[in-house]
Amino acid sequence: MSALSFAAVAGRRRTARRTAAGATRPGFGWAIPATVFFLLFAVLPLVLVAVLSFTSWDGITAPHFNGLANWTKLLNDPVMTQSVWLTLLLTALGVVTQTPVSILLGVWAAGPQRNRAVLSAVFFVPLLLSATAVSVLWRALLDPNFGLPGQLPWLFGNGNLLGSQAGSIAVLTFVGMWQFTPLHALLYQGGTRAIPQVLYQAAAIDGAGTVRQFFHITLPQLRNTMITSVILMVVGGLTTFDTVLILTQGGPGTDTTVSAYYMYQQGFKEFDFGAGSAVALVLVVVATLVSLAVVRLSGYDKMRSTAEGI
Amino acid sequence: MDSPPGARRKGASPNRFAAVAATTALVLALATACGSGGGSASSAGSGTIHVLVYGDAGNTVEQQIVDTFNRTSKVKAVLDTIPGADYQSKLNTIINTPQAPDIFFNWGGGSIAPYVKDGLLLPLDDMIAKDPALKSDFLPSVFNTAVIDGKAYGVPMRGTQPVLLFDNKQVLADAGLSAPQTWDDLINDVKVLKAKGVTPIALGGGDQWPTLMWFEYVFDRVAGPGLFQKALSGDKSAWASPDSAKALGMLKQLVDAGAFGSNFDSVKFTDGGSPALLAKGKAAFELMGSWEYSTQQSGNPDFAKNDLGYSAFPSVAGGKGDPNDVVGNTNNFYSVLKKTQHPDAVAAFLKLMYSDEFVKAQLAIGNLPTTTGTANFLAASASPAYSQFQFNLVKAAPSFQLSWDQAYPPAATTPIHTAVQEFFDGKTDANGFIQAMQSLPNS
Repeated sequence: MSALSFAAVAGRRRTARRTAAGATRPGFGWAIPATVFFLLFAVLPLVLVAVLSFTSWDGITAPHFNGLANWTKLLNDPVMTQSVWLTLLLTALGVVTQTPVSILLGVWAAGPQRNRAVLSAVFFVPLLLSATAVSVLWRALLDPNFGLPGQLPWLFGNGNLLGSQAGSIAVLTFVGMWQFTPLHALLYQGGTRAIPQVLYQAAAIDGAGTVRQFFHITLPQLRNTMITSVILMVVGGLTTFDTVLILTQGGPGTDTTVSAYYMYQQGFKEFDFGAGSAVALVLVVVATLVSLAVVRLSGYDKMRSTAEGI
Repeated sequence: MDSPPGARRKGASPNRFAAVAATTALVLALATACGSGGGSASSAGSGTIHVLVYGDAGNTVEQQIVDTFNRTSKVKAVLDTIPGADYQSKLNTIINTPQAPDIFFNWGGGSIAPYVKDGLLLPLDDMIAKDPALKSDFLPSVFNTAVIDGKAYGVPMRGTQPVLLFDNKQVLADAGLSAPQTWDDLINDVKVLKAKGVTPIALGGGDQWPTLMWFEYVFDRVAGPGLFQKALSGDKSAWASPDSAKALGMLKQLVDAGAFGSNFDSVKFTDGGSPALLAKGKAAFELMGSWEYSTQQSGNPDFAKNDLGYSAFPSVAGGKGDPNDVVGNTNNFYSVLKKTQHPDAVAAFLKLMYSDEFVKAQLAIGNLPTTTGTANFLAASASPAYSQFQFNLVKAAPSFQLSWDQAYPPAATTPIHTAVQEFFDGKTDANGFIQAMQSLPNS
């Protein structure tokens, strides 16, 4: 093993020297630890899941191949189709609601004043809580009889927030926003602080006010931060699970059964690991397509510097 | 879940291939090492039997029984626990591995049916032939829950948990009502309570299984236990029978009368929502397992002491079911794995489940064991009147129907919960419910 990897390093070095004149790039050997982990914990499970999706397995006796049975079942399963749309909808709602709020909070928190530091620290508290704790907390707060809705009937009506699809989706979106906005605000705060002051000074000389500076300097300069943040939101949104498990359990009925929750249901509640694997694979495909789309649309793959000409 | 796009690059050099091959070899070596490493700790070792139970406050009694057993037995018992909600999925993971226990806790019925099908469990009929008390010392309606295809696979342990209709005595008294004896009484109570601005019945619809309890009782009262047994054994026509339609009609009538209020889907039992409705007098009734009593004792001790009432589910005029029938969690059971190395020691251990020591210890922590000798010790239980009521109810019951979601195998749990919730929501009608139940997997 070690001899081989050193040979690989040495070989790569020689190749690099031959091809790239002058500068040498780090050899392949350096990538081995990461590659091993990636193979062991990402590629191998993915392959196993792909294989399992063509089997019937109750987790007790050995899995046996059942051809396309899981896949034909999924294709004709309205809950599966719905779960993909719900996943995409929740992801989109997450991006749409969290981005503006976290940009505003982050930019505001990047300012130098003392009270901002204190308030920012308070805003970041939800980030320290686990998603489970946050969900349990909101579940109790939104109890229709003893929580907020019971106190504010003019706003919540009969308080049956989790009794309808729209209400449940709204709750999931809101709780996700409450929990993840601080993380993204933190990203935007860092991004804003990295913007060179000379830009603002120049703008001020040219007579641009705060609003104009925000739209013409801050926002364009935050472009790469925004892409990073959106990709994190998309990945997080596509794998939303814990909030669904605790707040709605996929209900009412199957109205909020997102793909990740459906996978869990099939695998760990119904002990049908074959079907669960098929759902997982669908989720992998959807997530990969969405990530590719985001990367292409945003130009993340050839991320340009925002500091050109400074 | 998703791999970073663009991580793959074209063209693998021979050296790279060698490195990948070496890595793969390493991974395989690791995997096999893990696979064989655990095997040496098998329960088949030197004179021990492993007893696996659901980890909770009740484990003190299980430990006490294990200690008692170990005082006299050469083969020693070891108590293992899996905490709370993960029990069934973790049991499922280890049951066919060398780490599997000899004896394990379960709920009978559908919770062990898949293991019986896979030939993992030991039928206890031979043990019972040698020691008939292993069967005859337990109430028959309870014992039968762990009988599958005519063979006994479990011995009752811990206690029975029948579903009862709980009420807030104060609220009923204020409205001039008493606990309903018949379905018509119940409908009438609902009307009176609604007129007084009280939610007649608290329901933790968000948990889904509390809703299911209403179906279990109404179907049993209307059609008798036979309908569900027929459906469970694979005769799907049972769900489309006139009795089934009648039961669904009655449930619909109750929901439409506003018996459960309008926001029951956002209320849960498990986070204390529905018990609080009952305790605070915002609702008059709650249909719940016998654990409602201990829930109220810990959450609202004054209410539990003074105003918590309980009664059997009302009878239904013209129904085929015996009004004494009960539904709920019949009991917990100990089942035995076929590959145990010490069947005699296991048999000796199971005998303790009808011992006086076991019964007294269970009663002391609020459980209600179902041995025929339990009656002698009820006076010493944590709440004698309540224990006596339950015991008489279960003893007199011609049929004790295990909760539907536990009678069916785990694969049916989610579809059942979805179906009952959508029916109460009005999202599906009787036909939709019947179709959903007919498409359940029953093996």
